[in-house]
Amino acid sequence: MPSKETILTKIKANRPNLWPLPDVPIFETLATDKKKLFIQILERGGSKVHCVDDSTQIHQVITTHFPENKRMVSALPFLEGIEGITTLHPDFYEGTEVAIIEGLIGVAENGALWVTENELGDVRVLPFIAQHLVMVISEKNIVGTMHEAYKKLGLPTTEGFGVFIAGPSKTADIEQSLVIGAQGARSLLVILTP
Amino acid sequence: MTPHAQKAAIFNKDEVRTDWHDASLWMVRKKRDFAVSEIPEWEFLREFASDIKMHTLSKLDDYLELFEKAAIQNGATVHWAEDAKEHNDIVLTILNKHQAKKMVKSKSMLTEECHLNEFLERHNIEVIDSDLGERIIQMLNEPPSHIVMPAIHLKKEEIGELFHRELHTEKGATDPQYLTEAARHHLREKFHTAQVALTGVNFGIAETGEVVVCTNEGNADMGVHLTPVQIHSMGIEKLIPRRSDLAVFTRLLARSATGQPVTVFTSHHRNPKPAGEMHIILVDNGRTEQLGKPDFRSSLKCIRCGACMNTCPIYRRSGGHSYETTIPGPIGSILTPGIDLKKHGQLPFASTLCGSCTDVCPVKIDIHTQLYKWRQIVSEAGLPEAGNKTMMSIMGNGLASPTFFHRLGNIGRKLLRLFPGKERFLSFTVWTKDRDLPKAPVESFREWYAKQAKDA
Repeated sequence: MPSKETILTKIKANRPNLWPLPDVPIFETLATDKKKLFIQILERGGSKVHCVDDSTQIHQVITTHFPENKRMVSALPFLEGIEGITTLHPDFYEGTEVAIIEGLIGVAENGALWVTENELGDVRVLPFIAQHLVMVISEKNIVGTMHEAYKKLGLPTTEGFGVFIAGPSKTADIEQSLVIGAQGARSLLVILTP
Repeated sequence: MTPHAQKAAIFNKDEVRTDWHDASLWMVRKKRDFAVSEIPEWEFLREFASDIKMHTLSKLDDYLELFEKAAIQNGATVHWAEDAKEHNDIVLTILNKHQAKKMVKSKSMLTEECHLNEFLERHNIEVIDSDLGERIIQMLNEPPSHIVMPAIHLKKEEIGELFHRELHTEKGATDPQYLTEAARHHLREKFHTAQVALTGVNFGIAETGEVVVCTNEGNADMGVHLTPVQIHSMGIEKLIPRRSDLAVFTRLLARSATGQPVTVFTSHHRNPKPAGEMHIILVDNGRTEQLGKPDFRSSLKCIRCGACMNTCPIYRRSGGHSYETTIPGPIGSILTPGIDLKKHGQLPFASTLCGSCTDVCPVKIDIHTQLYKWRQIVSEAGLPEAGNKTMMSIMGNGLASPTFFHRLGNIGRKLLRLFPGKERFLSFTVWTKDRDLPKAPVESFREWYAKQAKDA
């Protein structure tokens, strides 16, 4: 008998009586100011947050944060054509020092930002391989909890890959000492637009 | 003494180090407590998580088929493995098909359980564990001592020495930042040259066929996205029915594990990258048998957060290696006796039954109750680990017969008077190993009571 059938037969023989599946309510955050909580949790996790009044200021914020001429790659259409920023191309992302991408949903309770391969120009590795990561998100897209986030996400449609990113990559594998910049991005700058 | 107790005794010889190990883990437990305190609905979440997992287990066959169907529709290839051997063979077949000689792996307790690395190395495949802690212990040729913090037992001086030898870092360098940087460069090279990446799976979603992997370092994603072939090895109990159930589990997992509000990366893999391949291996390896044990099946709810280890007074002071299982600590002690009662039947005794593990478990597994129940099974099987049989039977008889108890008390008091402080004359029971015997009272309570009655 093929393994699939063996396993399924064993489960049928051994499984417990039907246990009801609970309906999980959409728990909301108690925080009155979701934006404030989002910023606070991000900073606690080692990220930097910068609020701008409109998207024309984004370029300025980025160049202030990365004054040296680093190789910057952007997946944001409105940054196209700006000097010093390369538009993302699937065959041309190696050596990216700063990747600039858009976050679709921000979660206040844990500082996580949702991004899919659509925002990554199909370069799934981009937010991991870049030395530094910049994520731009509108404060309208901040929700309180993961329940609200998944409600907003619904089921995947076109995207084959999606990820919540909640800060720069980190490790505490050596004596529980926190080191920011493990194997992915060394820093995360979140730019909040209105 | 049980093998665990012997190993623990060796671990405890270095008192300073034992205290350090204890304190490191307790710090993680305290971080967990803080993270939990920020969620008013924490207890409800635990209840929901438990019910979702129990529901899934009660329809596991249906959900596995649903998952397989969705995954195939997404473009993934689904494999089924009854045991470790079949799992390892499947991985090797995929590697051979692509003539791959190098594979990067991110943390997966399942592949530890299957001893995949040893198997592939025997077939001349280079396996690179890419999680920092895993890489460290792989270089040392040791198993992980903790399921979330695999190198928690090591001092930075030892890691510095190891990296000097293996990665040519400066001699005597112990700064974690510097050492992590060295590992980053070393591993980035490996990600670019490997042909296949393998990850474990935190959650498989039945309705979408997605696999979800939670990490902090970013190593799993580096591997998966940079290599043409991705493999996800998944225990069949990792399924959850709905994508929205992830809200419950992602809120519980990292807070319980390390006290973070969420892991840095929560990656949802649904289909292979363009021109890439995605394989999912569904592994049984004893899980269906555990499912058939009504007293123990709820252990399959485990989401591998490690909270029960961090809180366990025995684990913290005996170290993960003393358990000699892939999954150490309280959860390991209820998962493994079902696999090999002779070898692991001793582990349910490596507990004080204090219940702290049950209190912190995010999916409400009654770990300490199951430890107690395993003890009954081990005792009935007549295994020598079932405590001190001689002493227990003397005690049992003694306490059952008032006359005998009275005499035993008399003899005991006399012996104590004859050999005061010689606590080791009872060394055949481990009981007196770290305990002093009390001073013998002048008279027993019964003698005293009889006197009072007479005087009145």
